Amino acid sequence: MSIDPSNVGREYGPYTYTLGVEKMREFAYAVAGGVPSSSFGGKPPPGLNPIFWDEAAAKASKYGAIVAFPTFAVNFAMKPFTEAVTDPRLGIDLVKLVHGEQAFEFFDVMRPGDVMTTTGRLTEIYEKAGMDFVVMETESVNQHGRRVVKAVWTAVIRR
Amino acid sequence: MPTLEPGATFTHERTCDKYRPIYYGAASGDFNPIHIDPEVGAQAGLGGAILQGMCTMAWAVEAVVNAVGDPGALKKVRVRFSRPVAPGDTVTFTGKITGEGEGGGTLVGTLTAKNQRGEDVLKGATFEVAR
Repeated sequence: MSIDPSNVGREYGPYTYTLGVEKMREFAYAVAGGVPSSSFGGKPPPGLNPIFWDEAAAKASKYGAIVAFPTFAVNFAMKPFTEAVTDPRLGIDLVKLVHGEQAFEFFDVMRPGDVMTTTGRLTEIYEKAGMDFVVMETESVNQHGRRVVKAVWTAVIRR
Repeated sequence: MPTLEPGATFTHERTCDKYRPIYYGAASGDFNPIHIDPEVGAQAGLGGAILQGMCTMAWAVEAVVNAVGDPGALKKVRVRFSRPVAPGDTVTFTGKITGEGEGGGTLVGTLTAKNQRGEDVLKGATFEVAR
């Protein structure tokens, strides 16, 4: 069953998310082979850039604060995509869904306390090689009205 | 800070340990059962739980950010997920700076990501960084 292309143009959001420093640290730990915890086993893995976890080193940096690992953005920017692929109007069987492609464009770093507002729009729905493709573009803007992250999310639904 | 110029290459390696999909799930909010529950992964025809593609992409970004030395230098990154990464897999990332972006203020590059069998887990990966 193919996905109704009249869903192209449908918008999801806005969704807001406040960045917290502990979650930012935990994300950097998890990517770098560590445990995303502030207690059990959670510590910066060897070699992890201090800008992601060390308050003093980060303060002395050009950013003046701990910054988020770039793809930490999934924590807020993915929401419209997950809402869309679980929207009954698209009728996607989640077990058959795989993440096909992903693109990010970054315009600024992300700091603790930043409030991100994300909106998403379905831009393409098509069939190729016996599979369905659903493409969404999201844009995340911070509390200063500055665009921080644009992303393109492509879901592939196997038949 | 390392200075990268067109032609420069860099490598990075990460192994997906048994708990990585759970740890990445906790850090990212992606608790899709195919990443957490081997039974669901097997039912989906994936042979068990698989790593979130976004974690593989994060490792690709890590390769670039480590080479550049500044996470804020990353301007663009794009990947296509061509093969799942499962616990026990080791992924080797090889990046290359291929040229300058428009206006010369950035560098652009390509990235490969291969598992321990030499199979591509990402395809068509590209990035752009401030120089």
